[in-house]
Amino acid sequence: MQNAFIVVWRESLEALLIIGILYAWLSANDPKGKGKRALAAGIAVGVGLALLLGWALMSAQSGLVGDAQEFFQIAMLCVAALLITQVVFWMSMHGRAMKANLENRIEAAHSQSGYYGVIVVAALAIAREGSETVIFLYSASGTIQEVLLGAVGGFAAAILTAWAAAKSLGRLNIGLLLKISSILLLVLASSLLVTASDHAINLEWLLERVDDDTLVRITDAVWDSSGLVDDGEGVGKVLADFAGYRARPILPNLLAWGGYWLLAASLYFFWIRRRGK
Amino acid sequence: MKRPELHRRGFARAIAAACLGALCLGAPTAWAADDMPTIKLVMNSGQLIPQTLEVPANTRFRLEITNTGKDAAEFESLELRKESVLAPGVTRKLVFAPLKPGRYNFFDDFHPETGKGVIVSK
Repeated sequence: MQNAFIVVWRESLEALLIIGILYAWLSANDPKGKGKRALAAGIAVGVGLALLLGWALMSAQSGLVGDAQEFFQIAMLCVAALLITQVVFWMSMHGRAMKANLENRIEAAHSQSGYYGVIVVAALAIAREGSETVIFLYSASGTIQEVLLGAVGGFAAAILTAWAAAKSLGRLNIGLLLKISSILLLVLASSLLVTASDHAINLEWLLERVDDDTLVRITDAVWDSSGLVDDGEGVGKVLADFAGYRARPILPNLLAWGGYWLLAASLYFFWIRRRGK
Repeated sequence: MKRPELHRRGFARAIAAACLGALCLGAPTAWAADDMPTIKLVMNSGQLIPQTLEVPANTRFRLEITNTGKDAAEFESLELRKESVLAPGVTRKLVFAPLKPGRYNFFDDFHPETGKGVIVSK
């Protein structure tokens, strides 16, 4: 039961935090409720996908899945990171359009794509971690009551955590809410890309094309800060899960992280310049 | 309204094409390195057998993980950059890049209290 509680809480937290942040922002910026409906649709799609994925992963033949699964993970992580970024920039533009009460076509198109973004971001967040939870719960040992109690408890704890985050975000004024939500979401997106770079190094497709020396150079830790903040437990683990922290980062980790922030920063400055016109 | 729709479809198609292309590229090359050492690990409801795995340093190797337990297991190691969920009865092979001599922790993420192991590379 204790296991079920911990595993379900941890696996649900990331998705629920993303949903909580989006919910907090939509509550303040989306009077027509369109965004909240998009969020609800995303959650429904995500739960469906998680069940489907969990089932597919369980019924896949042993050994056959290897690389296909890695490619799939990488694709999901990259699409999620890109769409989170898109939603963040949409949030800025949408807020501005609402303030200026501009109802022209370009703004309408922008806002439309944002709602799709919200759906996909919520769905992917749930599908990714949810599919693992599905496998875990489906085959969890112990009596059904024990497992259910742990799972429901863990899920409730995750909802409470996300709700507390959304609630405290909701207290902020609109400008600050946008800034903090944006930063939290971008940090999460950067973390997804770091995870994607970890998966990329695991591809047998890649491993069989690279010789040992190059591989050693690629997978050599650039530094080791595990003595300072270990990424295996406590604060370090939280930072690893949500901010992409690695105590022993390899070059691809740093490239993914640096590349992402470079992209986000250039988008930001591009947008600022356009706003200035 | 129509334009971004088209862009999105184009983008989705490009991604799909890239994935397909990558898979096709991978298909023709068979596993050349069958001389790769294979190390076996059994995961059984939170037990890791053995808890300490010795692997040759600076050599790529294959880890064959079998979940003999009644519940699912998740082999995870942040420092080895591996994460793999195994339903009961499943065997999976993971290929590892060459490791420098040292100790690398891994754990069963679905049994966090008991499932802690270490890979020793020497």
